[in-house]
Parts: sequence; C-alpha cells; structure tokens
Amino acid sequence: MSGYDLVDIEVTHESADDLLDSLSEDGTDGSHLQSIQAVRLQAGQPDSELRSLKELDENAVKLLEHQVDAAYRALFEMDGKALLADEVGLGKTIEVGMILKEMHFRETDESVLILTPAQLAKQWQAELREKFGLDFVCNYDDEFEDFDAHNYIIASIDTAKSERHRQTVLDRDWDVLVLDEAHYVKNEETDRYDLIDRLSYNYAFFLTATPIQNELTDLYNVVSLLRPGLFGTRDVFHHYFVNSNQETLVNRDELQDRLNKVMIRNRREDTDIDFTDRTIDTRTFDPTPKERELYQAVSDYVKGAYSQDQGQKLVLMLLQKEVVSSPVALKKTIEKRLYDQSELTHADELESILDLIDEIDTVTKQERLLDIVEEARDNVEMGRVIVFTQFRATQQQILDRLASEGYTVHAFHGGHSSSEKEQIVEDFEEEGGILVSTDAMSEGRNLQFCNILVNLDLPWNPMRVEQRIGRVHRIGQKRDVFIFNMALKDTVEEYVLERLYHKIDLFQQSVGELSSILSRLEESGTSFEDEIFERLVAADSEVDLENDFDAMAVDLQEQRELADKLEEFNSGVFEGFDLGESDD
Amino acid sequence: MTDASISVTQSVVEQFTERYLRSIGCSIERSDDRWLVSVPDDTDTEITHGRHTLIRGEGTPDDDDDRTKRLHPESAFFQQLLREAGERSPSGKLSIESESDIESPEWIQNGAVEVQSAQFTPYYDRTAIVVLFRVGIETVSEYQQELLRAVAVDTRSEESLPKLAETFLDTTTVESETATSGTVQLTKTDVRPLLETARELLLESVQGQLDDIHREASRAADSEVEEYRQMQQQRIQELQEEHSNLSSKINDLSEKINTGDEDSRVQALRERKELKSEYEELDETLNELQERRDSGFPNRQREIRERHSLDVQVTPLTLTEVEYERGEIDFELIDGSIHQTVTLGYGSGIGVSDTVRCSSCERELTERNPLQTVSDGLKCQSCIKER
Repeated sequence: MSGYDLVDIEVTHESADDLLDSLSEDGTDGSHLQSIQAVRLQAGQPDSELRSLKELDENAVKLLEHQVDAAYRALFEMDGKALLADEVGLGKTIEVGMILKEMHFRETDESVLILTPAQLAKQWQAELREKFGLDFVCNYDDEFEDFDAHNYIIASIDTAKSERHRQTVLDRDWDVLVLDEAHYVKNEETDRYDLIDRLSYNYAFFLTATPIQNELTDLYNVVSLLRPGLFGTRDVFHHYFVNSNQETLVNRDELQDRLNKVMIRNRREDTDIDFTDRTIDTRTFDPTPKERELYQAVSDYVKGAYSQDQGQKLVLMLLQKEVVSSPVALKKTIEKRLYDQSELTHADELESILDLIDEIDTVTKQERLLDIVEEARDNVEMGRVIVFTQFRATQQQILDRLASEGYTVHAFHGGHSSSEKEQIVEDFEEEGGILVSTDAMSEGRNLQFCNILVNLDLPWNPMRVEQRIGRVHRIGQKRDVFIFNMALKDTVEEYVLERLYHKIDLFQQSVGELSSILSRLEESGTSFEDEIFERLVAADSEVDLENDFDAMAVDLQEQRELADKLEEFNSGVFEGFDLGESDD
Repeated sequence: MTDASISVTQSVVEQFTERYLRSIGCSIERSDDRWLVSVPDDTDTEITHGRHTLIRGEGTPDDDDDRTKRLHPESAFFQQLLREAGERSPSGKLSIESESDIESPEWIQNGAVEVQSAQFTPYYDRTAIVVLFRVGIETVSEYQQELLRAVAVDTRSEESLPKLAETFLDTTTVESETATSGTVQLTKTDVRPLLETARELLLESVQGQLDDIHREASRAADSEVEEYRQMQQQRIQELQEEHSNLSSKINDLSEKINTGDEDSRVQALRERKELKSEYEELDETLNELQERRDSGFPNRQREIRERHSLDVQVTPLTLTEVEYERGEIDFELIDGSIHQTVTLGYGSGIGVSDTVRCSSCERELTERNPLQTVSDGLKCQSCIKER
C-alpha cells in the first residue's frame, strides 16, 4: 500500500516539572521504592485475566461476550473444574478452546485429553486447530499410536474405554480432561462413568446442553465426577433436594448456590446472537435416459458386489455416491479399480459401465448449475456463489465448464497448502465469481461475505452438510442465506434429501442442534452413512426402499423430538439458573 | 527492552498493601480472609482515618462501604493505594552494591570455558539516572496501548546503560524491601539534559512497536480511502446513468417539438426546459465529483489519514538517582588443565563493559560466538569450528 508514511505519528512529551520539583523533597526511607513499585503495578495486568485473548486470530474466531465470560469463570472462579452447560448453539466448543488456549499460554497443559462422541472428534480437532492454533492428535489419525504416545489427544470416549486402551488411559496423570456431551456419563453403572471416575486429572471441563436427561440424579452423577463431595452422598442429596414423592425439588436456593460453584449455563435469549434467514431451494431434475441407465447399472453392480463381498463396502459406497455427482468422478474410480487390480471379479460389468459413461454427453446437474450461477451473477454482489462437491474430478469439470462460459472461478480443495487456501478465499472475496470447493473447505473457514451456496452433490453425513452451510450462515452473516440443493430424480440423493434431510429439517437447524441429535443416534450405536448404504443395498424393490427410508426418517424425527423435549425440560429446570419457586 | 510492568496477582497485592500501610503508620491485624486496619489520625494519607476491614479476594461491590473494602488486583481500594503510593515519592536514590552477584558475560556463559572465580575491584563511584516512562499509543483503529519502560543514562557521559536499567527492574520488584538510600544529590539543572537524552533513548527503543502500529494504522486508513473511492465511483456511475437518461429524454422532447402540434409543442418545450436545468445541475455535480476523483479526493484523504494518525504520549513517572561503581574485574577461567585470568572493564549493575575479540581471528566474542578455549589466547567458537 502506498500510504504508509502518509499517516502521521505525533509524539507528545508530557511535562516533567512535577517530577523535577520532587527532586528537592525528602522522602521517608523506602517511600521512593514503593513509588516505583506502585507505578510498575499500575502498568501491570491483573494476573487473572485471559492473557491469551490477544494472541487469537480475529479472522479465525469471533468471540462473544458470554463465551469469554464462561472461559474466565471456569478457569478462575471454579478453579479449573467446570460444567459448561450452555443451551445448544452458543459455542461451548469455543469456550473450551479459549480455556485450553489460556492454559497453553500459561503452560499448565502438558497433557490434555478430550473425549467426544465419535462423530464429533474430527470436528473438534479442526476447530481447535483453525480457531485457536491448538494441534491435537485424533484417535482416527494415522499418526495416532496410543494414549501414552501423545500429549494432546482427542478421542472418542468409546475408544478410550475399549479394552485395548483403557489401562493406558488410566495409567496416565492428565493435566486437563475435556468431556463433550457429558450426559453420556449420567449413569453410574456404565463403563463410561467408570472410566471418567477412575481417570486422574488436575483440571476438567465437562460440556452438555442437557445436564438433566431424566431425573435430578443425572445432574448429581455428572457434578460428582467433577467435584466429588459438592453434593454429599447420593442418599443425602436425594433426601435434601428431592421431596419424598420424588417429583419436586426442595431447598432450591441451596441447590442453585452449589451448582453455581461448578456449572455455567448461558441461555440463547441472554446473548446477542442473531442469525439471518435461510432459504432452501431444493431442485430435483429428471436425468437424461443415458444418465438413468448409468445410475441403474451402477446401483445393480453395487448391490450385487456387496452381496458377495461385504469387505468392499467403502469403495462400493463411493461408486454409489459418485454416480450422482458426475460421470467423470465415477469414471476415474472405475478405471483405477480396473487397472490397479488385475484379479477383479465383475471386471466385465465395470467395463460396460465405462461404456455407458462414455455415451453421456449432457450432464444434467452441470447444465442446471448454470441457471443458478447466472441468476446469481445478475442479482448478487459480485455474483459470489460457493458450489460444493465431494469429488475432485467433479470439481475440475465444473471449473472448466464455468470458465468456458466466461465466469471467474476459484478452486479450493485439500491439496492446497494453508497459505494457498487463504489466498484463494481472499481472491474469491475480492474478485467475486464462483468458488468450487470440496469438503476440505468445511474446516473452520469463514465465508460470511458470500450468501449463496450450492450443494451440487450431498454428503450422506448430515454433519458435513451442516458444516458446509456453517461456512456462510454464521455469526457475522448480514444477509439472508440461500442454499440450493441439486438432486437427480429417483436416485439415492433424492431419498436422502427428501426423506431424511427434509424430515429432520436439516437445512433449518440452528448451528449445534444437529450434534445433539446425532450424538443421541450414536449413543444407540448407529452410523448415519452406513445406515443409508445398508438400506439402499438391502431393499428388494422401490417400495421397500421408500419404506426403509421412511422408517429411518421416523427414527431421526423421534431423536429430534427427544432432543427438543430435553432441551425444553432443561431450560425449564434451569430457567435463568433460577430453579423456580421452592416448595419448602 | 524489557517491559517494566509487574503482573498483579493476589499475593503481590497483599504483599504491597501490607508493606505500604505499615510504612505510613497503619497497624494491621490479620485473620483468615479479613484484615483489620487502623489508620492513626496523624497519618498522611487519603484513606479515611480510623478502623477499616479489608476483605481479601473478589466479591460483589455492595460489600464496599466506607469501612469495609475489598482487596484484590482490580479493587477500587487497591487502585487508590497505588495512585497514592506512586505519587508519594516519585524521585529518589538507589545504590547498586558491588557485593551484588557478579554476572559473567554471555560469551563466557555460553562458551566451553568455566569461571573459577571472579574478583571485582571498583575504582570510581558513578551516578546514573533511571527513568520509568509511560508510553501511551493511540489510534482510531487500535485500542490504546500503554507501555512502561525503564531507561538508564550515565550522568557524566550520558551513555545509555540498558543493563543497568534491567538491574534496576530486578531490584525494584515487589519482593524487595530496602533498595533505596539517602537523598538525591542531582539538581534540576543536572537532570534536565539527562531527561532529554533518556527521552531520545526511549523513543529509539520503542520504535519497533511504533512501526508495527503505524503500519496497521496506515493499512486501516488505506482501506478506508479505498472504500470511499469505490463508493464515489459507484455514485459517479449512477449519476452518469441518470445523465444519459436525461439526455435521451431531452432528445425525445426535441423530436416532439419539431414534429408535434402546437399544444404538445408548448408542453414539450416546458418539459424540456425543466429537464435541461435538471441536466445542467446534474452535469455540474458529476463534473465536480469526477474532478475530485481525478485528483484523488485530497480533502477526504487528508481527513481520513489525520484521523488515523498515531498519538504517542510520553510521560516520565519516576526518576531514580542510581549510584554504581566502575572498575575492573578479574575472571579466572579454567579450560581443562589450563588456568587463565582475564581482566575486563566492569560496572556493578552494568556488567562487563569491554568488547573482547578473538585473539586469533579478531571476531567479537558474543552470545552466539562464545569463547571456546583459553589455551594460547582467547579463541572463539568460529575459529575452532573452522579448524
């Protein structure tokens, strides 16, 4: 920039007269030393402030007042043992990130263990890295060896309690333990509870939006893990705080006082979070006859191959996803399979699929994408649109197509270095046009300057969909957000979209709500992607398939309703952290 | 340059408060989390005379009244105490004793040779002043930053003594109780030129920080200028559009005037007249805006850059006359079986003042190029490596 020296520096020297006058005054012994000390203390910072705040990258994370406040209280007023029980979507992860950052700054975090539900482990890892510059190893990383081999670990709680790892986890003295979805340990008779109960640690931060799942005992169990003795014995707790018919609370004020020593609960209405509106436009298109034929062939192949060899699940799942993304993505995978593996069964089937791919000259989704971006070019600031796809081959083809139509395009994928990624986002902001991205974008990057997002294909993991949307629809987005979903009729995508995602109102979830639904699902031992795939290949007829997906949707809806109910119940119980009128 | 501020922990707060209150004549009875403080009537202080209760740690402000105060890093009472203590005796005298620990230079500490003994022989008494400066830096785009820095200047040579400033900070922590002695010998006339030198040294030492903030302020100003330029450009485009719309409307009317009947001609003439004056007005605005754009919006630029300018305020807060000694030091060095004594210029509180060079290559001995051997002269690490 040219203006560096155009901004003036004006130095004013305050008068030293008073100081010089004091030269002739006789001070008592030691009073000058005290003046020096007082001046030095006046310039000093209170030691109990969050000193790492200034180190944070403002572009990576925008801190809200209630989050800073919670981190401060957890660290300094609760002596590093706290239950963070904000309502969903208020950024409990951010609060823990700040706490860990501060501990790192003060060098009190030699070993940190974060236990989360399996689905959320990678997300935690990404958020802590992107937003707070904290590097953790996740138990799903290749480099993960064991719980005694790293100092900063994020792991699923079930991995930690597994026979293979349990002893290693328990043998170690951890400086910090973080437990996400702490209601997982509400039941004292489970292995999970037992693990946390036996773990050795100096500081602990437990997170949950719903500290009470069923009854007040849940709260007793979770709190007692953090602060043994705060509530006395289980029996005393019951007698003291729950009346004889077990339905209402007694001695509420005291319960509240004690909870205040260990629990922080912010409510949405007390914060200044305000999201703009989100409009969802789901567009399903008729595939061309050739595309339909290809889809059928691939689906048949996947079904057949899977019934013979379930070990190929991952790659078969990949084919099933690619066929609705783009023929070119599918082609790459099939060719790789054909030419890398000489003893492939069904090679002839794959060959014939390749022939079908070659016959396709119009890719419906790509044609229809042009409608959306053209509309955006005319109506949106600098025509900015983000198009997400799961596959690099699809990404490349879209980029080429859009560029040939005269659009300014930007590519973003996992192959870029982080400085390149930053540059790409910057270019996109400055030049406008279309950013075509893989899900590598989902990690912690903020694109609030764009408000149109296209899901060219849909991940079967709703968390990923939420992460995509979260890039643009987040705190700081000033405009309404438009999400376009593209799907081909009568394909798995249409099922996932129509029967599942819309049923759980995925696209209208506020940030964070989904994780409570998913972690409930996970608690019942289900992986979303697997479930979709299993249902897809197991169905004997279209009617079967439809019924299967409907059943899954009912499950989901139930989980959602339960999650909602629980949240409502907890809100009621903790209202303003005021537990209501005491009936004693 | 080292930050001269001291972190304010609860224990530091209590240590300082207790010592200060006792030094001005108060008595303190301590019990658990409360102190009962008696302030005698003849005490020279702003604290109300009589008995007070100090409660240690944080609590609700309601607890504060005339007689009950909270004592913690941010409590009003403690802040009042600091103000009072800071202003009580801003100038004074301090001695750096020659017995204080002798520190060998980094080129010996980092080297391969051990120090067997060190003997300091003082020859002269010297005087320096150490000034604590508060530097306040303010811009519109940044929060105000405050730095506290110590600068030490020899009173005779006016040379900068950074090492002495560090020693000064080490000897004036809250832990130290008796570091000052005697009354100041220097007069106002002596101090004025020294203070000038200290100010210059101070500005040199914070230049790096000022540059950083300056750069940020410039960037903020530039982007504001750019934003303004874009906004005006957009306005120009809108005006141009309007301009050409009007122009074509006027043309249409002219056409009408040439071809229409009497009534519509009169009507069109009237309308054309109105449009023309509107057109001229627009034309003027547009020209003016374009001219301002072509010259780079100088007024606006000046206004933005002025607003972003850095305001640096330098305030001397305390001034300390420091007595120290200069002389020579003998380091007896051992390198295996070889003993060698090196004599160097030295000052209490300022350390070794001589620059020492390698006897073989003449390179200066430094922290990074330390002494490697003393057999056959003092040889540096680089020489030994190159061998």
